[in-house]
Amino acid sequence: MKFVPINRSVLARIAVAGVLAFSPSLALAEVLNVMQSEAPRSMDPGDQSATFTNALLRPMFEGLTDRDSNQQIIPRLATEWTADEAGLVWTFKLREGVVFHDGTPFNAEAAAYNFNRHLDTNRGLAASGRLRTFMESARAVDEYTLELKLKSPYPAFLALLSTQAGWQVSPAADAAGTLGSASVGTGPYRLAEYRSGEYVLEEKFPDYWGDKEAGEDQIRWTWSSETSVLNMALQTGDADVINPVPAAFARQIEANPELSLNVSDGSAVFWVALNTESEPLNDPRVRQALNFATDKDGLVQAIMAGYAVPATSPLANITPGFDPELNPYRLDVERAKALLAEAGYADGFEMSVVVQEPEARIGEVLQAMWAPLGVQLDVQRMESGVWSQAAFGDVAQKAEQNVDAVIASWSSGVNGADLQLRPLYHSSSFSPGGANLGFYKNDEFDAMLDEAAGIVDEAARNEIYKEAQAVINQDAPHVLLYVNQDLYATRQGVSGVWMVPGGFVRVENATKE
Amino acid sequence: MQTYFLRKLASLPLIMIGVSLLVFFAIRALPGEPARVLAGPEATQEAVDAMTVRLGLDRSVPEQYLAFATNALQGDFGNSIRSNLPVLQEITDRLPYTLALAVLAYLLAIAIGVPAGMAAAMNRNRWPDYLVMILAIAGASIANFWLALMAMNYFSVELRWLPLLGANSWQSYILPSVTLAVLPTAVIARMTRSSMIEVLGQDYVRTARAKGLPARKVYWSHALRNALIPIVTIVGLNFGGLIGGAVVTESVFNWPGIGRLMVDSVRYRDYPVIQGVALVAVFGVVMVNFLAEMLIAFLNPRIRFE
Repeated sequence: MKFVPINRSVLARIAVAGVLAFSPSLALAEVLNVMQSEAPRSMDPGDQSATFTNALLRPMFEGLTDRDSNQQIIPRLATEWTADEAGLVWTFKLREGVVFHDGTPFNAEAAAYNFNRHLDTNRGLAASGRLRTFMESARAVDEYTLELKLKSPYPAFLALLSTQAGWQVSPAADAAGTLGSASVGTGPYRLAEYRSGEYVLEEKFPDYWGDKEAGEDQIRWTWSSETSVLNMALQTGDADVINPVPAAFARQIEANPELSLNVSDGSAVFWVALNTESEPLNDPRVRQALNFATDKDGLVQAIMAGYAVPATSPLANITPGFDPELNPYRLDVERAKALLAEAGYADGFEMSVVVQEPEARIGEVLQAMWAPLGVQLDVQRMESGVWSQAAFGDVAQKAEQNVDAVIASWSSGVNGADLQLRPLYHSSSFSPGGANLGFYKNDEFDAMLDEAAGIVDEAARNEIYKEAQAVINQDAPHVLLYVNQDLYATRQGVSGVWMVPGGFVRVENATKE
Repeated sequence: MQTYFLRKLASLPLIMIGVSLLVFFAIRALPGEPARVLAGPEATQEAVDAMTVRLGLDRSVPEQYLAFATNALQGDFGNSIRSNLPVLQEITDRLPYTLALAVLAYLLAIAIGVPAGMAAAMNRNRWPDYLVMILAIAGASIANFWLALMAMNYFSVELRWLPLLGANSWQSYILPSVTLAVLPTAVIARMTRSSMIEVLGQDYVRTARAKGLPARKVYWSHALRNALIPIVTIVGLNFGGLIGGAVVTESVFNWPGIGRLMVDSVRYRDYPVIQGVALVAVFGVVMVNFLAEMLIAFLNPRIRFE
């Protein structure tokens, strides 16, 4: 009888051991599977400028500021900030008790290091461009006080700090040169595994300063450039979230009760940049005629299956400063013909347009829309790398290669009008140095932009942007097409996902049932 | 015979140098600067210039090649521009997946293609022949990626029988290898058929039949062995085509092999990886052709003694 309890305890121990042996599978980590259309371009947020890479890196990195789901700027690694009257010297109070994933403490020293690596021209980091145009220096005042000096006032400064150029990386990891393949930030997730051909796996960072409970245990990112594969992966459950949803599959997903489609206003404006240095497009009447001949509603239906809004301004409707009352060019073929006749091209003319492969249909639709004017549009489809070389050519190169127009898109998102209007229309932004692809030059317009940049008050600034939009509208250095909508889809039961306008999906707080 | 293969083997380094030169200069002749692709459309010219210097692309192409060749000889193919990982590691991580897929597809193709071709030859101008030939023509003409997408949609999405993506279990191998096998199966079946038909008309086959050998023995050991020579040649020559097919198949199935690596790398103008993968692929094709020649020599004593 004495032995029985011992036997029992042995059995109990075996049972416990059995449970323990199985417990890893019982406590299997919940993984949120996110699939996007593009492979990550770097594990260093400061060395890339791709939307889908930003989405993938965001759970691991934070900036001094952030945006909430209402697009308002909120504190993140900085708790408060002040600026001098001219808007040139900014002082940030940094959050205390924050550590990077490798244990390096986050402080003013580390933050200054982060800005200085972007200001170092020898580094050639891919995301440095914008910061360098206006930032002068960064220094640590004391352990948790950071001072940033600007060369000139920059309206979107706080917004820019919330983007990848402002995301804080571990100075130790950066100095070791390993960041490009192994992210080290301060975010709620840290890098668990990066298999460059397969996936990126992120896991909860146990020493995170903020809410440790939000989100799933792990986030697993995969990618496929084949859009129908994204759609299939969502249906089979291989993916819990897919981004983007190609417009062609949107209705199918919407009709499936297991899936949920999310549509929101996007920020990518699609337009045709007209080469104002090339005949007859140097005549504003000709450019206006092309605008009158373009059926934007038709384009939205034909190209985007309705998931876009006709563009009425070079700014997207969600961009601060957008003027909703701007008079767009409504479809009016007769007026277009009259304008062309006035300009001396009653019988039309020939022109070429370069377009990236995935957007080639836009060119084909325009070809048909402009044909009644006698305009023969030669659509040149190109692979993206080839296209970018042609699109960003200078005046002479475009003349030589006979590039009369470029179909392009640009997204400055909610970061303000300057980031859209300056690179696209300011005369200092002629390609290849900027994205003024049609070499538009109007001194009055330039002066407006420069004046607005120095105004800290947003409402006053936006008044000037309104006038600037009117000038652009009149000069028509482009044919505006549409502003896309951002589409992502989840499986039913996934919550906490939200979209930053521009296609950047935020999932760090997402959970699934 | 030995000197024949030694000579072949000795030419390998020359082929590799030639190919590396070709690849190196060809990708640099492609329009689209990596610095601009990498820095993104919003980058200023200054940023693009800084990136160009960082990537070492400001030097002349011959200079770049010399640096590349010197390092490559020491086993250093540089780092991927995109992932920052050593190119050699990127390739060795994935090569097993591509090889597994290629070998599986080839075994499938031979296992189906040879008997199908033989059946067609033995039943010339009767229904089995027509059936095999119709399937072979269809198999050779169908677009690889279309077939892959259809198969995924049916077997993974509709029926849920097979995994959709990746290489996570043995079931993951089925769809990609079958898709990849379709083209070589078709080619092998047609080749086997015509080769068998030719051999079956030879005198020694008639002799074998005349002396009363059972049909099975005539077909399988007398005719097939001789018919195999052109088949092995085709199989060897087609290996390059198979690797090309893997590029498409791997991309669609998210297969972590070198084909998908190649596609991703071309998109980002990741020169070091493109060079590395191209060299490995060419090496593989040259080696397979070499093995095929050895096999032919084994099958055909006349080549051995020449």
